[in-house]
Amino acid sequence: MVEIVFIAPLLAGAVAFFLRGRSGRPLLVSTGAVHLLISVLVWCFRPAAAFPDYFGISPEGLLSLLVISLLFFMISIYTTAYLKGARIHSEPIFTGCMLLFLATMTMVTLSDHIMVMWIAIEATTLASAPLIYTHRSAASLEATWKYVLICSVGIALALLGSVLITLAMDVGGVFAPVSFSSLTEVAGELDPFWLKTGFVFILVGYGTKMGLAPMHTWLPDAHSEAPSPASALLSGVLLNCAYLGIFKTNKIMQAAGLGDFSGTVLIFFGLASMLAAAAFILKQTEYKRLLAYSSIENMGIIAFGTGVGGIGAYGAVLCLIHHSLIKSSLFLSSGNILIGYASRLIKGTGKLARLMPKTFVAFFGGFAGISGFPPFGIFLGEFFIVLGAFRAQHFVGVGIFALSICVIFAGFANHMMKISFGEAVAAVKFEEKATMVWPQYALLLTSVVLCFWMPETVSQTVMNAVNSMGGGL
Amino acid sequence: MIQTVDTILALVLLSVLFSFGSSRLPALIKVIAFQGVVVSVVPFFMGHSMSAGGTAFTIVTLLIRGIGIPLCIYLAIKKIAIRREVEPIVGFHASLFAGLVLIVAAISVAPKFHLPHASGHVLLLPTAITLLVAGMFILMARRNAIAMVLGYIMMENGIYLVGTSLSLRTHHIVEFGILLDVLAGVMIMAIILQNIKQAFDGVDTALLRTLKE
Repeated sequence: MVEIVFIAPLLAGAVAFFLRGRSGRPLLVSTGAVHLLISVLVWCFRPAAAFPDYFGISPEGLLSLLVISLLFFMISIYTTAYLKGARIHSEPIFTGCMLLFLATMTMVTLSDHIMVMWIAIEATTLASAPLIYTHRSAASLEATWKYVLICSVGIALALLGSVLITLAMDVGGVFAPVSFSSLTEVAGELDPFWLKTGFVFILVGYGTKMGLAPMHTWLPDAHSEAPSPASALLSGVLLNCAYLGIFKTNKIMQAAGLGDFSGTVLIFFGLASMLAAAAFILKQTEYKRLLAYSSIENMGIIAFGTGVGGIGAYGAVLCLIHHSLIKSSLFLSSGNILIGYASRLIKGTGKLARLMPKTFVAFFGGFAGISGFPPFGIFLGEFFIVLGAFRAQHFVGVGIFALSICVIFAGFANHMMKISFGEAVAAVKFEEKATMVWPQYALLLTSVVLCFWMPETVSQTVMNAVNSMGGGL
Repeated sequence: MIQTVDTILALVLLSVLFSFGSSRLPALIKVIAFQGVVVSVVPFFMGHSMSAGGTAFTIVTLLIRGIGIPLCIYLAIKKIAIRREVEPIVGFHASLFAGLVLIVAAISVAPKFHLPHASGHVLLLPTAITLLVAGMFILMARRNAIAMVLGYIMMENGIYLVGTSLSLRTHHIVEFGILLDVLAGVMIMAIILQNIKQAFDGVDTALLRTLKE
């Protein structure tokens, strides 16, 4: 009965819509705690699914599930404090959508059937759209419109891609369930032409949702307009869910012996995203958009690593986990900054180190982590990706990769210095409550700990996830 | 002998041309409803054996695609009583010409794919391709936000045609999930449209330019 993991938050979300006023807050935290507990149990006991045609446990899904669960729990603790400080219209809708969002994302991690995966990913778009419109401003409305339209159209292409893969089964005369696990087994018999076409459509479709350039245009708007806890969820987990669709399809391609083709396409989109992020990060004027472009960069890094394969794929999965942990902590800290300075502009901030010292520690630590400094896992991930790319002799690719990372680091550091030590223009009215800084610390600490000591079962699961791509040390 | 499927699909191709030349939103919505009805009933005429569940599912699809989704959009524009004209980026004559070129291209390309189940129905694949590309064209070539939603629905109809008619592997429960997603998506878009009208005093997407680099 592995389905209980997403049914529980689904029911809680449905209940939350009918609660009045603030009574949704304890429900949010308790659902987060229960979800984390069930996820850990699922990890330990690996129960079978009640509907094995549609759902199943895969190593990459398990990793994402645990990350989602941990993140949501931390974010829910932060959210209860955040809701006291920030003015939010109709709190029941906000909490209800947060829980539904959790349910749909959990469903993505557990779905095995190609079409169920699509249904779940489209459902994440629908559940998260009201979150972006929480502030009811004209700008947030525009961001929601772009998000829903661009992602729906993009994901429609992924649906076409999924249909084309079933067509590859018909043309190849394969009779097997339309699930990722069974397709990976019979991949060699699928018709290569339709499989390739399907992969490209799926990559473009889920790539839109994942924020790969040039389909990323919705991402900075949505991330900057959504309230910070929702941005943290969007960036930390939603992008991973879309990536999961690409990752699983790439596994089929690898098993079918078309890994070179899929790798080249992934490398292309990955590098394009990194270059786009580098170009836009330098001239950014808002700090939440800055973080959003950094997410585009990291998705580019992950796509590049997956495309490179081998040890690069291992690095990509490491980057995926650590990006979720670090980026969501950064977005939560940006929520504190927004409440404190009441401005989205980098110009409107300053002297963060003196005015909000606890938030500063989390924000600066997150910056160091996301830029790839050694004590954090992104460093290891990027190191493995570069190593893998050298082994696979993608020298030009490594050049562009390194150049983009340097430019992005320079731009990010420049803005970061202004926020932390520049002149402050406004007085800060913000009391740094424990619940609004400790979740960030906990997330960053998890990233550091995972870098030095990864439990045997976790590292084994990462290995299992990437071994079909020739991954591993 | 001319087959039923090809006859109604030819009407769909004509409706695409009509939608490219039309400036009135209610007419566009009727075109979408017509296409929704046709793509839902095509499996009836395909000659596959239909189970009771399959028949029931086809009828539900017909109700949602042919009536539910167009009605959502129709109610949205009726409620906000906006100007019922579509502002084109690409002019109507140019659009019509593009539509003709598209149909010719789709018909000439389709036989090269050698699909196993399309044999006998000459217009099946060309119609699917035309609907897909025409939907994208409307998304890009019209500045009106409602027309963009209609373009999305047209695209979705095209994908549905590929899915049900060309592939034999349909799980009705899965198809139903997809349908629900699309319906919910269109409903959310309709709600956003109403809010856009209130906030920006119009649904011209040129007004939506506050967020940019």
